[in-house]
Amino acid sequence: MFSLSLKMSLARKGRLILTSLAIILGTGFLSGTFIFSDTLSRTFDRLFTDVFRDVDAYVRSTNFIEVPFGGEQRAGTPIEALDSVLAVPGVKDATGDIQAFARIIGKDGTPLGSDNGPPTFGGIASASVAGLWNIEDGRLPNGPSEMVMDRSSAEKGDFVVGDTVRVNAQSGSREFTLVGIANYGDISSPGGATFALFDQQTASEFLLKPGFVDAFLIQGDGTMTQEELATAVNAALNPTLKLETLTGAQIAEETKDQIGAVVGFLSTFLTIFSLIALGIGCFVIYNVFSITTAQRLRENALMRAIGASRKQVTTTVIVEALIIGVLGSILGFVVGIGLSRGLSALLAAFGVDIPTSGLAIRGPRIATTIIVGTLVTLFSAVFPALRAGRVPPLAAMRDTAFERIGSRKFRFVIGAVIAVIGVAAHVAAAAGVNDWLLGVGVVCVFAAVIIYGPLIAKPVALMLGAPLARRSVTGAMARQNAARNPRRTAGTVAPVLIGVALVTAFSAFAASVRSEIRSVIGDQFGGDYAISAPQNGFGGLPIALSDEVAALPEVQQATGLGFGTVELDGEGRFVTVINPATASGLVDLNMVQGDQSKLSANGVVVSNNRATTEGWNLGDTLEMKFVDGTVKDLVIEGTFIPNGFFGSYVINREAFAGTTNSLFDSIIYVVMKDGVSEEDARAALGAVSEQRGLGTLQSREEFIDAQADQINQILGLIYGLLALSIVIAVVGIVITLLLSVFERRREIGLLRAVGMTRSQVRFTVVGESVITSMFGAVVGVVLGIGEGLALIGTLADDGIAAFSLPLGSTIVILILAFIIGVIAAVYPARRATRVDIMQAISTT
Amino acid sequence: MTQAAATATAASKIYGSGDSEVRALDGVTIAFEKGKFTAIMGPSGSGKSTLMHCVAGLDSLTSGSVAIGDTQLETLSDKELTTLRREQVGFIFQAFNLIPTLNALENIMLPLSLGGQEGDMQWINTVIDTIGLRDRLEHRPSELSGGQQQRVAVARALASKPSVIFADEPTGNLDSKTGGEVLGFMRRAVSDLGQTIVMVTHDANAASYSDRIVFLKDGKIAGEMTEPNPEKVLDYLKHLGE
Repeated sequence: MFSLSLKMSLARKGRLILTSLAIILGTGFLSGTFIFSDTLSRTFDRLFTDVFRDVDAYVRSTNFIEVPFGGEQRAGTPIEALDSVLAVPGVKDATGDIQAFARIIGKDGTPLGSDNGPPTFGGIASASVAGLWNIEDGRLPNGPSEMVMDRSSAEKGDFVVGDTVRVNAQSGSREFTLVGIANYGDISSPGGATFALFDQQTASEFLLKPGFVDAFLIQGDGTMTQEELATAVNAALNPTLKLETLTGAQIAEETKDQIGAVVGFLSTFLTIFSLIALGIGCFVIYNVFSITTAQRLRENALMRAIGASRKQVTTTVIVEALIIGVLGSILGFVVGIGLSRGLSALLAAFGVDIPTSGLAIRGPRIATTIIVGTLVTLFSAVFPALRAGRVPPLAAMRDTAFERIGSRKFRFVIGAVIAVIGVAAHVAAAAGVNDWLLGVGVVCVFAAVIIYGPLIAKPVALMLGAPLARRSVTGAMARQNAARNPRRTAGTVAPVLIGVALVTAFSAFAASVRSEIRSVIGDQFGGDYAISAPQNGFGGLPIALSDEVAALPEVQQATGLGFGTVELDGEGRFVTVINPATASGLVDLNMVQGDQSKLSANGVVVSNNRATTEGWNLGDTLEMKFVDGTVKDLVIEGTFIPNGFFGSYVINREAFAGTTNSLFDSIIYVVMKDGVSEEDARAALGAVSEQRGLGTLQSREEFIDAQADQINQILGLIYGLLALSIVIAVVGIVITLLLSVFERRREIGLLRAVGMTRSQVRFTVVGESVITSMFGAVVGVVLGIGEGLALIGTLADDGIAAFSLPLGSTIVILILAFIIGVIAAVYPARRATRVDIMQAISTT
Repeated sequence: MTQAAATATAASKIYGSGDSEVRALDGVTIAFEKGKFTAIMGPSGSGKSTLMHCVAGLDSLTSGSVAIGDTQLETLSDKELTTLRREQVGFIFQAFNLIPTLNALENIMLPLSLGGQEGDMQWINTVIDTIGLRDRLEHRPSELSGGQQQRVAVARALASKPSVIFADEPTGNLDSKTGGEVLGFMRRAVSDLGQTIVMVTHDANAASYSDRIVFLKDGKIAGEMTEPNPEKVLDYLKHLGE
């Protein structure tokens, strides 16, 4: 029986390929994600093994703060301790190391590297063998006016030794003479980052704090193991400095782990979308099997009539699924290799130079891809296979393939139960019972809609097709064809529906967030201009810049706004940092108690929510610990109503005085004096900011737009990843149409015989396709808006209260669905017009 | 000869080549008169269906020519052929005559609707009354019996008042009683409504409804008969077989 099934499946190569397409695309994305993240982590593993090759021990501060959402900020290491390290027997050499924010300004005045690109670092170039940099050209920097940069930046900025280069850092903007060009390990620049390198003293005072570095890199003389060396170094350190010593292997491992976490997050994100694509592929496979088993009704009935058991008929379908699953998954893995190269190329286009030594293709990943792909295919084929087995032998005498919907009542009840559970979960989630209930709700509501699909397919298709039907008889036939097999139409529509619903929900969510950001920033920002630094990286605007701007003759008032990470009340938290002396009228907290302008250096203003939850009162003190270990007691001097922008804690920038905590402003708000023209204002402000590579100068309107549009970047990424699901959905429509055309070739032949022109045949197929895709789009949009509402309702406590309908994107989605319907019909329609009349109507 | 609704001149249709060459039609010349009911008979493989398909413009000849009225079919493009079929020709097939998604009336009106024409409603009403299915017009084909389906097919063929109607074993799938009904309607369409029908059949009883029978054998015309009755036809077929 198995070999017979095998033979029957292989005899239909065309159908095998069609069905495989869905699984190839789904598993392709999955394996592409696998290969990409494996390659990425292997690359970084090798890189850090390489970079720390000559580092036997590593000294750093024990003071650190865990940053919310992962990561840590660590205090500086005093350079004075380096002497005691060098004095340890067994230490051959040791040097300070810094990795801080610094931005190289190109010859045309624009900074190297994009705002949203890889980080821009400043560091130390030293003669020590333990150092990370190798001078390739020129010499090491020496003194406060010399620097070295990485080769990749030098090439990008067209710099040669002897040039004067401007660099921005925490302490301000300075010019240096380029005396050398260096390589990081063996490569020109790790991960596309830019590096400005100085001697240790210059680096400390320019990039960090005078007298501090991030860590010491130590090389042993070979007489001790790394562990012995680390122990010896640690013993020599002054305990009051709160330093610790790691072995070279440990720090390499730790760095790899940190990168691994980032790669892991990225791969989880990609995996979620590849699973969505696979799930959508499921529907396509299910649908293809449903249709083909319906079309093979007579064949299966004949098998039953000549003595095949139900089980045997079911087996033939399962065997076919097995072949398709295995073949499709293997091809999918091959496609995945291409896709992962595509992902790498995409990153390279954004300037991330990943030094890959070939793709990492691991056996277990191949196995996982094939197993997952095969299981998904088998799972999708189970129900069609069972249905095939239930065919009565008498059906061999019947003429056309019609799929019956199973028990409508059963479907109705199950759908209703799941819908009720879904809605209940949504309500509970919105009421704040538990956030994971939202996920349960979303899954249940989607499931209910899919279950109801075959029940609503006919009326919805008839309704959507009504305008077509009114136009002509061909339109009427297109409408009837879309409605004739409700289960098939519903199955074809499901992938489109899910894709559209997800896109709409994200759009609705994003539109709401956008309008919320708009109103929040519009409310709190009263200035004429804003100078802002990208908020997604580290670093920002030197805090001295706001005072410099305020001192400009054209400027009435200017104030800086920054965000810092401190440990407050025992936990790492983001705090908003303001300058109360200049903030009034530009950065206005909605104060409930206290006066924002009287916020002292040792004071803190908290949100009234936090104050209520924690039972805090004015005059209470909160312990704040800075990265360098400095502890201050801050007095609660006021409360404010949070608006999603300022977070829950606001402190005075003076609070950072005397610590090595790095502090930048993210935004400087500016009000111009009366009568200053826009041209003059832009010239004056631009001269101190943009033209020195510091931040972006924007008018009030531009700034608000830019802030609100930040969400578009995330949205764009999500759209991009969902695009593959949409492609699979389109493939699903194409397959269904092809199979339908094949099934109706006699009907088409008859129509041609009685006088239907080829273009009328084409119109019928296109019409059916458009009705189907519009069905998916319309129901998907309705579902997506509903889910978007639910999402916003649930997250309303976090400060997003207003729902705004993404009218523009909804219209775009509907138009796109129409176009997709037309495109999906191109090939099937061509097949339909080529139906041979004689063959189609011959009675044999 | 009276005016012809359709003609074939030296019509040949050859499948394959060399040893496997099959001459389905071998130089057939024939005219189908207007206002007459002509039957084409012959054993399996005699070329009767091929002749009909070629004259109707569904299939093309290897050599020779066919015409509907004054229109030579060889020179027509696919589009012109389609229009000709829609406006000048009616079809009745053995089975699968109707579109399952359309109701009876929509099926009858189909050739007219495809051409975007209103049609002659008085004529169509006459046709519908003749087939006697006025109360079934809203029904889908799956809700009609086999005989009713073929009567709808006859009505559809008549609806556009074509120059000629071709019927390919129209009663092949029907029992003799319902088959007789359908043939009766076809007969009346010719006698009472002045239509032209060409019918392919191997059933002597069905052929006896016609005005004239043309016998084909091995792709050639083997003879013909006017004013047939079943006994005469069977007798002739016996001779033909020898």
